[in-house]
Amino acid sequence: MASTSPKITDSLQFPDNLDVTKTFYGFGAVGLIASGVGYFLNAEQFFFSYLTSFAFFTSIGLASLILLMIHHITRSSWGVVIRRIPEAFASNLWIWSIFIIPILLGMHSLYHWTHADYVAQDPILAGKTAYLNTPFFVIRQFIYFGIWGFLGYKLHKISVDMDKTNDWGLMELLKKLSAPGILIFAITIAFASFDWLMSLDPHWFSTMFGIYYFAMSFQALFPILILIIFWMHKKGILENTIQKSHIYDLGAWFFGFTIFYAYIAFSQFLLIYYANIPEETLWFYHRLEGSWAYVSYSLIICRFAIPFIVLLNRDTKHNHKVLISVSILVIAMHIIELYWIVMPTLHHHGVSISWLDFTTLIGLGGIFMGLFFQRLKKHKLVPVNDPNLPDSLHKTYHQ
Amino acid sequence: MDKKHSDKTIYGILAEFKNPRELTDASKTIVESGYRNFDTFSPFPIHGIDKAMNLNKSKLGWIVAGHGLLGLLGGVALIYFTMVVDYPMNISGKSLINVPAWIPVLFELTVLLSAFGAVFGMFFLNGLPKFNHPLFDSENFKKATDDGFFVCIESEDPQFEEEKVSKFLKDAGATNIETIYEE
Amino acid sequence: MSKTYEYVPEPALVKGNHDFKDITAMITDINIRPTPKGWYVAFGIANMLLLLLLGSIGYLVWEGTGIWGLNSPVGWGWAIINFVWWVGIGHAGTLISAILFLFRQGWRTAINRFAEAMTIFAVMCAGIFPAIHVGRIWVVYWMFPLPNQMLMWPNFNSPLLWDVFAVSTYFTVSLLFWYVGLVPDLATVRDRIKSKIGKMAYGVFALGWRGSNRHWWNYEKSYMILAGLATPLVLSVHTIVSFDFAVSIIPGWHTTIFPPYFVAGAVFSGFAMVLSLMIICRKIYGLEDIMTIDHMEKMNIVVLVTGTMVGFAYIMEQFIAWYSGVEYEKFIFMMRAAGPYAWAYWIMFACNVFSPQFFWSKKLRRNVTFTFIISIIVNIGMWFERFVITVTSLSTDFLPSSWGYYSPTIWDVATYVGTFGLFFTFFLLFLRFLPMVAVAELKGVMPQADPHNYDEDGEFVPPKVEVPEPYKNQTNQ
Repeated sequence: MASTSPKITDSLQFPDNLDVTKTFYGFGAVGLIASGVGYFLNAEQFFFSYLTSFAFFTSIGLASLILLMIHHITRSSWGVVIRRIPEAFASNLWIWSIFIIPILLGMHSLYHWTHADYVAQDPILAGKTAYLNTPFFVIRQFIYFGIWGFLGYKLHKISVDMDKTNDWGLMELLKKLSAPGILIFAITIAFASFDWLMSLDPHWFSTMFGIYYFAMSFQALFPILILIIFWMHKKGILENTIQKSHIYDLGAWFFGFTIFYAYIAFSQFLLIYYANIPEETLWFYHRLEGSWAYVSYSLIICRFAIPFIVLLNRDTKHNHKVLISVSILVIAMHIIELYWIVMPTLHHHGVSISWLDFTTLIGLGGIFMGLFFQRLKKHKLVPVNDPNLPDSLHKTYHQ
Repeated sequence: MDKKHSDKTIYGILAEFKNPRELTDASKTIVESGYRNFDTFSPFPIHGIDKAMNLNKSKLGWIVAGHGLLGLLGGVALIYFTMVVDYPMNISGKSLINVPAWIPVLFELTVLLSAFGAVFGMFFLNGLPKFNHPLFDSENFKKATDDGFFVCIESEDPQFEEEKVSKFLKDAGATNIETIYEE
Repeated sequence: MSKTYEYVPEPALVKGNHDFKDITAMITDINIRPTPKGWYVAFGIANMLLLLLLGSIGYLVWEGTGIWGLNSPVGWGWAIINFVWWVGIGHAGTLISAILFLFRQGWRTAINRFAEAMTIFAVMCAGIFPAIHVGRIWVVYWMFPLPNQMLMWPNFNSPLLWDVFAVSTYFTVSLLFWYVGLVPDLATVRDRIKSKIGKMAYGVFALGWRGSNRHWWNYEKSYMILAGLATPLVLSVHTIVSFDFAVSIIPGWHTTIFPPYFVAGAVFSGFAMVLSLMIICRKIYGLEDIMTIDHMEKMNIVVLVTGTMVGFAYIMEQFIAWYSGVEYEKFIFMMRAAGPYAWAYWIMFACNVFSPQFFWSKKLRRNVTFTFIISIIVNIGMWFERFVITVTSLSTDFLPSSWGYYSPTIWDVATYVGTFGLFFTFFLLFLRFLPMVAVAELKGVMPQADPHNYDEDGEFVPPKVEVPEPYKNQTNQ
């Protein structure tokens, strides 16, 4: 550029005096201990609540991972300044894998297909045992987390290495890793969602379910990024580096993937509703029964209609208050939607909220965010030697 | 100045600049000097010239939103009338007001009308089509769709004085300054 | 790290040392120059094929759909296959234009005009089939909600009616999008062409565009909104096409992955078609500096990604068919892979899933001849995909006593081949009379267009990327 290239004026170090990690770990410990107590009081409820919370936080890590890979493969410049946030999320996936253990322990409570006597009476389930059996389920979890953990760790590692070595050749390595990474990711996230969520109702099936889980997670990632950035700005971190235009861009992605989510969720519903085949319709039927129906309708309104209308207008993407409110709404709806997928298996006839739903959320959330901040703190807050960084800092869109 | 033109009214002064940067800078100078009725011409939209020219936000978004809403409501009315009021029929046991099945058509109609709004609204705001324009009399102005960057300060501007504007543009670095007459 | 990698800077969008004037001349001279002889030859051939189409349609109207190979149980044959195939091809144009525009991918400018034109003509070819397959073509207006002598309305709960709305909306919006993009370029031709008739014709369609920045301001906004509208529209159109199949209860059709799977397939075949056409045109018209090898490489990556997505859907379908435990589902997928149409299934699989995998190699991605061959193979494969979906599910349905094998007749083939006549007739007219590259937009993405790339004296200073020397053995900083 003939004009002077923009410089970073902010400190790139996470402030030392800001000790959020400990706070989060504290919350996490309290939440997990409380949930542990809950296990002894109501084991079944504990496992279902735990699964919901686990599916929520894992989805954020996974969405971060795919965002990074898309970013590298398209060589985008818009997101360079915020890249450390998804990198920090994704890099912890290998540690996060230990939190699958309670689910493995609770398989018998969670999944009907683990009951041999029940399967023996049911020819359809008996036909599925080649896939739905306990050892293979456990092995698959190792495979998923092995792949995700490796990808997330590597993408973060190479990126921070570049801070130190200034070797732009590593950009090519990131690309080389991301291309097959996306492919493997697509397959693993689909099967993981079948395992964790779809097989809760082992008779039900939907080819699109993997894409549905991905679409939900990806939509929810953007509000999370937006909230983290606002929080960082409030604390005076990267105030001049992550600019209005970057937040606007995140808002635009948020908007776009709200539509994508609605498209996927609606297509899945419409096809099943229209054809009205008993083995498929039952899943939605349960979710339109009793008080679950209200949850179903609230999903349409709060997860699609409100964010769609609000974000449609260009100005709201610059209005922090509105953006924060919509972000919180959608994150909450993501949790509620996962709850709506998981819980009707346990509570057929209506919503029945348990305190364990909250403690598992706080427990896992505390650990998840604690890990995140611990990782974020360790390294520079912006990939300083990225070739696209000047471009990213330069963004001033008039649209 | 041509003799034959002397009795015609002046439309404005047209001046050519060398490149996008000079055009942007010139626009800034023109705005700062208080001219309001002027326009710049380039073969492609120039990034950032809207700020230099102090342009207001485009109203197109509202036109499109209005059209989109019209499409949506019109679609609802059409389907409701045909499927529920005029010829109700039980189709595969679904309720008469079968909203999920209506969504595809409603979506298409919303998009169709919005697109009409976006295209025809844009032409309307731009005052197009307008096949005849004083600027088309200038042979040099043909470059505006090729590689020329032009400014035209119009005679409607309260500050407009032929000599003064010519000199002003010349000082701003313009070449090929010519006076454009009304038809 | 033992292996080191070389950093490859982002390639320039326009190769060679061209200024704005060169670009204008390079593209619009094609419209201004006298018609080359080769064009007449090509146009003649295309016209002959078009006659074949008209003849086939004429005979169809006269005789009825009995001339086609349809039978019971296969009541949907080549007509729907060709319809879906052409509509699918028609999706790349809007995708390249709209989605790549929203994602600010500058490389779209070299091919978007071209691809949009392809879209419009492909949708025209597609639209023929639903119109003619109704049998009594003279009452085709019953498809629209118009008052008629039966006092009945079309069924808004039917996916076939959704199709009518989707395809006609798509055609209209694509046409508008294309035209809006064309207006500034038509003005460029108007200002350069010498002939009086030409000036008049281009002048009328240019609507008096004069490049005013007050106009550009609204224009850009309009283009942005159109892109924003067209993107979900593309998704919706092929989704609705997939609904034609998927809302039914026919095994192999009723599966929830159909909407995104059809969209990916559409993008896949559309990009392949753009590649085929682009490779020929850049050669003939000498546009190698604008439609560069780098563009081709990027498109090949899209082909690879979407091809793999289609492969993902094939695998998912097979898996869920087994997992569902529904015997009809299981059976139909077994019949696809090992039944009477297994040959078609494996042609489809080889063309769509395996052939793009060659593009993992950078060398092959940048090889023009190889890309051309793959792009043709992909389109053959995508035709077979629709064949497999349509025919296998119908030919062996719930009732074994009514199973049957389907073969097309000569009229099926003639109609299909004829649509190429329609497509190329229009496409050749487009190449001859309209700027085949978006001149104004292309100029807009050149480094010369950015005011920041000029120094104080108004001299152009191209942006430079200097690859830094890696720090050696430095761990801090």
